[in-house]
Amino acid sequence: MSSTLTVFRKELADLFVNKRFILLFAMILLLSTASAYQGANYLKSSSSTSTNFMAIFSQGANGSSFVSLMVTFGPLLGLALSFDAINKERKSGTLSTLLAQPIFRDSIINGKFLAGAVGLTLAIVVTLGVNMGIAIPLLGFGPTSTEALAIVALIAVTIIYLCFWYGLGMLFSVYCRETSTSILASVATWIVFSILIFIFASFASNVAVSAVSFNPSENFNFTGGNFPGNFTGGPGFNSSMFTTPTSVTESRSMIASTISSISPAYLYSDIASRLTGAVSSSFTGFSVSIPRFTGQQYNLYTALAGSWAEIAVIAMAMVVCFIASYMLFLRSEIRPAA
Amino acid sequence: MPNNIIKTIDLTKIYENKKVAVDHLNLEVEEGEILGFLGPNGSGKTTTFLMLLGLSVPTSGTAKVGGKDVVKESREVRKVIGALPEFAGFYDDMTARQNLEYIGALNELPRAECRSRAGEYLGIVGLAESADMKVGKFSRGMRQRLGIAQALMKKPSILLLDEPTIGVDPQGTKELRELIMRLNREQHLTIILASHLLNEVQKVCSKVAIIRNGKLVATGTIDELTAGLRTAEGIRLDLRLDKVKPELLRALREVPGVLSVEPNANELTVVSEPAAVAEVSQAITSHGGTILMMKPYEPTLEEIFMKYYQNGPTQEA
Repeated sequence: MSSTLTVFRKELADLFVNKRFILLFAMILLLSTASAYQGANYLKSSSSTSTNFMAIFSQGANGSSFVSLMVTFGPLLGLALSFDAINKERKSGTLSTLLAQPIFRDSIINGKFLAGAVGLTLAIVVTLGVNMGIAIPLLGFGPTSTEALAIVALIAVTIIYLCFWYGLGMLFSVYCRETSTSILASVATWIVFSILIFIFASFASNVAVSAVSFNPSENFNFTGGNFPGNFTGGPGFNSSMFTTPTSVTESRSMIASTISSISPAYLYSDIASRLTGAVSSSFTGFSVSIPRFTGQQYNLYTALAGSWAEIAVIAMAMVVCFIASYMLFLRSEIRPAA
Repeated sequence: MPNNIIKTIDLTKIYENKKVAVDHLNLEVEEGEILGFLGPNGSGKTTTFLMLLGLSVPTSGTAKVGGKDVVKESREVRKVIGALPEFAGFYDDMTARQNLEYIGALNELPRAECRSRAGEYLGIVGLAESADMKVGKFSRGMRQRLGIAQALMKKPSILLLDEPTIGVDPQGTKELRELIMRLNREQHLTIILASHLLNEVQKVCSKVAIIRNGKLVATGTIDELTAGLRTAEGIRLDLRLDKVKPELLRALREVPGVLSVEPNANELTVVSEPAAVAEVSQAITSHGGTILMMKPYEPTLEEIFMKYYQNGPTQEA
């Protein structure tokens, strides 16, 4: 435990001077602060029932907000901290130096993971703290006790989400001998889960439920009439019925949602949407839409109850990444330099 | 009865790609000696070190360091072994002192003790003035010296040095060599020096072990290995005469026990059986030759190494 803490302290100190971390954190902090400012102004100017303080985390200029930034750039923050955590040490020879000391091998990976988790937690807490510090004076009111709990829940979920990406980066850093390979793997995974998955989901749902393949005979009573080609419509039929029916849109949406749900970014977006009281899945990918508030009374219990499965999936993914990194690292052999 | 601080029995390492890195290595190192571990690149020196440190699990065989098994008690073993890897790695953005203090902390030393030892060992390796310089600015020689300081932080009883002078300039090499001998003398450290630089090993080591393709082909003191060569080839005499006449060469070749005579200007190399040395001398003077210089040939470690390496007699001297 002592050596884990030693590694943790050193890694945490390194984190605060890590240029990648500082750059990404500064970017997220600035953008989310600007978004919080916009969100607060939106709430202030809104004459509707929007007294939902959580809106500042999901409502911002041009669709950017703390949540949308975390969906898109959070993975980069996590990956940037860990993609070279182990292979850089291996390459520079420091791993052999460390392992030649009387320490348990797992203390290295535990210390690094712990430092990453603490670093990311601090980054999230500071960002949300600054956001609230901007918003509260502007709004003239702060979060209610329920909203305060929702903020805590949002922080916890965001930590788990970022730790998943951190763990994934760690896994790449253990598995790939070269840092160039692990950075490529990290960026590729980020692109797939944050961008491509939604494009693919949309494409797949359009192919699976095509408007052209929609069978009118199952939906309409056709008894004759005039229509170009062989088709004859029944009484009351008109061509406007050939716009995409609602059931098709819903089917497509369901398929797209099912496919997208393999992406942690989508799952986090879904959870965060519920926690902030916004319409579900407003923040996915780069095509961020302005969230719409349901207008219903915000209920944290309902939000959490509807999200527990998704939270569990992200947490499981994080644990799997960590355990896989852990096992691979413990079983990896130190070999002479080629 | 020698006190073997390191003992390996049939230590073998076969990597996943079926490469046999170390093949039934039987090595014994006595407490307080400096062992030169010789072999070309890829002969298994580093893998042996990794196994002794418990960082690589042997495929078969056993190794004990200070009586402790390197697999079952690897952490205990690492408490007594200080190691300088072939390419000693340090955190470039930390100072030399910070690097050493970190190593001390990993060895569970109190903070004050870390500071004190870091200062002490930086002084011993001659880096006191660069203690607060970032390691990224260090030269290769400085890094190697820092590597030795790092290995000393835990006050080990055994020091494993893997190619410590690789890439170091001649002055740095000399300083490192003196440092190694001083550590052995003053701190009574048992040192294993893996190197392919034979001249360096010859100057420092009391004993050598030669490894080839993972197999130990010879071990012993340099005198023992030299004696082995003398027995095999006879005694070689290097002579310098005032002049070398053809009839003298003929006469020398006819001396019983003379195996070969090789002239080179006014110098002669005569290989003979030990009993024939007096007759060689007599033959030279009786043919009017004047011996200006005569010395028995002492093979260099390089020649010993090449002999064992090329011929590969698996033997212990």
